[in-house]
Amino acid sequence: MSLRWRLASVTAVVLLLAYLALANFFPEERRAQAWYLPDQGLRLGLDLQGGIHLVISPDLEAAVAQELGHIEDGLSRRLEEKKITGVQLFVEGDLLHVKLAEASDAEAVREVLRDYETLQVVKSDAERITLRLTDEWREQVQERAMLQVLEVYRRRVDDPQTGIPESVVTRQGRDRVLIQFPGISRVPDIFRKTGHLEFKLVKDADKSEELLRAKYPDGFPEGTEVVFEREKETRRVLRAYLVSKTADISGDYLSDARVGFDSRSSEWQVNFTWNSEGAEIFAKLTEAHIDDLLAIILDGQVYSAPQIRARISRSGVITGRFSSEDAADLAVILRAGALPISVKIEEERSIGPALGADSIRSGIWASVVGLLLVVGFTTGYYRLSGVYASLALLANLLMVVGLMSLFQATLTLPGIAGLVLTVGMAVDANVIIFERIREELRAGRAPRPAIAAGFSKATWTILDANITTLITALVLFEYGTGPIKGFAVTLSVGILTSVFAALVITRLAFAVYPGTRYVEQVSI
Amino acid sequence: MPFEIVKPGTHFDFIGKWRICVAVSVAVVLLGVAGIPLRGFRLGIDFAGGTEVQVRFLDPGAVDEGDIRNVVNGLGIPNASVTRFGGVDSHEFLIKFRGGREVEEAAAAKSASGAAPEQSDGEEAGAETGPGQGDADEVREKDRIFLLEENLEKRIGPLEVERVEFVGPKVGAELREDGLKAIGIACLLILIYIGFRFSVRYAPGAVVALLHDVLITASLWILLGLEFDLRVLAALLAIIGYSLNDTIIVYDRIRENMELRTKYDLKEVLNQSVNQTLSRTLLTSFTTLAAVLALLVLGGEVIRPFALAMTIGIVVGTYSSIYIASPSLLWLERRFGTASSGPRASAHEAPKAPRAPKAPKSEAPRPPKVPSAKKAKTKTKAGSRRRRRPS
Repeated sequence: MSLRWRLASVTAVVLLLAYLALANFFPEERRAQAWYLPDQGLRLGLDLQGGIHLVISPDLEAAVAQELGHIEDGLSRRLEEKKITGVQLFVEGDLLHVKLAEASDAEAVREVLRDYETLQVVKSDAERITLRLTDEWREQVQERAMLQVLEVYRRRVDDPQTGIPESVVTRQGRDRVLIQFPGISRVPDIFRKTGHLEFKLVKDADKSEELLRAKYPDGFPEGTEVVFEREKETRRVLRAYLVSKTADISGDYLSDARVGFDSRSSEWQVNFTWNSEGAEIFAKLTEAHIDDLLAIILDGQVYSAPQIRARISRSGVITGRFSSEDAADLAVILRAGALPISVKIEEERSIGPALGADSIRSGIWASVVGLLLVVGFTTGYYRLSGVYASLALLANLLMVVGLMSLFQATLTLPGIAGLVLTVGMAVDANVIIFERIREELRAGRAPRPAIAAGFSKATWTILDANITTLITALVLFEYGTGPIKGFAVTLSVGILTSVFAALVITRLAFAVYPGTRYVEQVSI
Repeated sequence: MPFEIVKPGTHFDFIGKWRICVAVSVAVVLLGVAGIPLRGFRLGIDFAGGTEVQVRFLDPGAVDEGDIRNVVNGLGIPNASVTRFGGVDSHEFLIKFRGGREVEEAAAAKSASGAAPEQSDGEEAGAETGPGQGDADEVREKDRIFLLEENLEKRIGPLEVERVEFVGPKVGAELREDGLKAIGIACLLILIYIGFRFSVRYAPGAVVALLHDVLITASLWILLGLEFDLRVLAALLAIIGYSLNDTIIVYDRIRENMELRTKYDLKEVLNQSVNQTLSRTLLTSFTTLAAVLALLVLGGEVIRPFALAMTIGIVVGTYSSIYIASPSLLWLERRFGTASSGPRASAHEAPKAPRAPKAPKSEAPRPPKVPSAKKAKTKTKAGSRRRRRPS
């Protein structure tokens, strides 16, 4: 290729990437509107723009236990149908125990169990058969629970009322959910609730658990529990309710929930609508229990326990001394549905926007000062050649940012550190070349052959040195998480561009001057 | 005449000082190991699990660490540490403690007055007091960070929670494992690459040098009483990659010098090579150090551990390229290489492969297995360059 072509193509590449890089200085809206600005740009990591990074792990063992619970229910019905009595069923961890009353039942029970393809026998003797889910089914049950959890979180995030744009819910590995909220620093309450809504008929109620307990000297009846209604601020128990352990109807049948305002009591409330199945159940329930209290329970806490005044089928109202935000949150949660299993936060990193902005500022400062130091040293030490190296370095920086913008990579604080490190390391390649040229000159070579020899002899050294750094950067990319990945990204891209800068751009500069001219000496 | 930090024609006996250097390096590592029981092998929350809260007090008045400590202790948060973040008069503090946001079960039962134990059983089988449980207020009541914020505000003054990082024990263990794996794999890949590009002989020397850098940096880190976290891991990996740059410059020259002559004294060649590349080794480190120092001084608190580890690593890496990498090559060669005939004699056997003691075992200093066009080209270049080599 002729020099002119080389010059033109390299300049074009650098200018194109510089254009992409510099577009980041325009706000996003501006970029979207102006045709002459590219749409894509760097994304800022949560550590720079502020936000929350949350890793949640659902309790998948609970999903297995739930599944066993369902099987247990079905099995006990089946056994009843077959008139096999006295068999005790209970779930323990991931095991289902079938305790036989008489050894003679064993064959009949086994016969029934044979229909359950999802179960496998762990242990079996005269009194007891122990079963667990087959590995395959266990896997499927957990997978299904995982997908449900993801779906619920997605719905909560996507709900327009949540109002956190660009939030991300993704799966991480087999059993984790990664949620990212840019721009906020406190986990919204709605992501901390399970969202398990239940309606339960109140069997008894009093001011406190003690008073309630006093009424039942022999203990509470089988299958009941006490739930509380509390005052909002102080968490003082307002009322204790005795209810059945199983719900009369649960939030699974909801089709919609909206915030409402009751102008009579001037209170916020949530209006909900059942789906057709739910409406049927609810109509039956309310019809049969007019004048009874119906407790509305979310995640084990009573919101309110209104009296049933008439048969209600399709829609209803939840009141509970809500603020408007509370009501809005509740509506979102009800619309999104409940999490099927409990979850645990495994990792949380939240950074305030102010700190993020500080990080950007100090990152830019460090980059600029680092750049000036390196440029100052290089030009001072290598004169004109140093100027070439500095030009290559500038081009290099623009190319890194340009390439990252092109691929819309995420820039994090460690990423900025990687950029600064690139500034320092990029010049290394030039130093290797220049020192080699000096050496050749000292050996008595003429300037032009010395330059040529310098480049050719330094090429592999430069490649070797950079490939090893690239190897570690790629390893870090593979094993790093979050912001650290950003470091690996800028470092990798930086290594690639700095090799290009040193071997192509600097060389091109020498080809321009001295080029083919005869020179007495090289400014190096 | 150009300005030169290293005048040409230096002839320091670097290799001859290997005993002293090895002694110094080993001493530092031993001190680091000895420092573990004294100063502790401190893992940051990334690896050990735990919570870190960074708060900034908004009032201009002085805030005392002791006051914050009192509040923290008053909340019954176990093993908490409070440190000022940044300068002496900064209003930012870092509060660290083991464990997560939620107050543990036992403590929660005590503090939550009305909460009956049956309640925590909840509806779902195996439900724990996870964040998903209970309503928001109950969550807050058990939320240490919320409590901390509330109490600090009440007792000291308005503040802002700038950063919260919590890593659970499970994730911590995973990150720890991944971190070690990453370092191991990086070393292995580099070993392979160096073995592939140079000869298998060079690779162990290079890896000795880079393990040296990592160990020394880690030892100094322990002696300084600093914590290992993800940022430091990133720095250590970058050091692994970077410290090798200088080593490669020296090794390249060693190879070149050995290709030049048919008869040589390995020690002399090593010394000569280190001397010839001395200015390069120092200058490349110097420019990188300049950039990293800018990061150390101006980059802010969050990135400081990374910058500090990098600074140490670059200095140590430069030292090891000069004083450790070549002597270990010499040592390995004497120990495992040409034990019978000595390096001097080996050169006669195979002029094209002066480093090979038994010619058929490894025919060329460059790996012969890669018949790429590019490689062939460099080879011929290297050949043609021989006669005209200076010095």
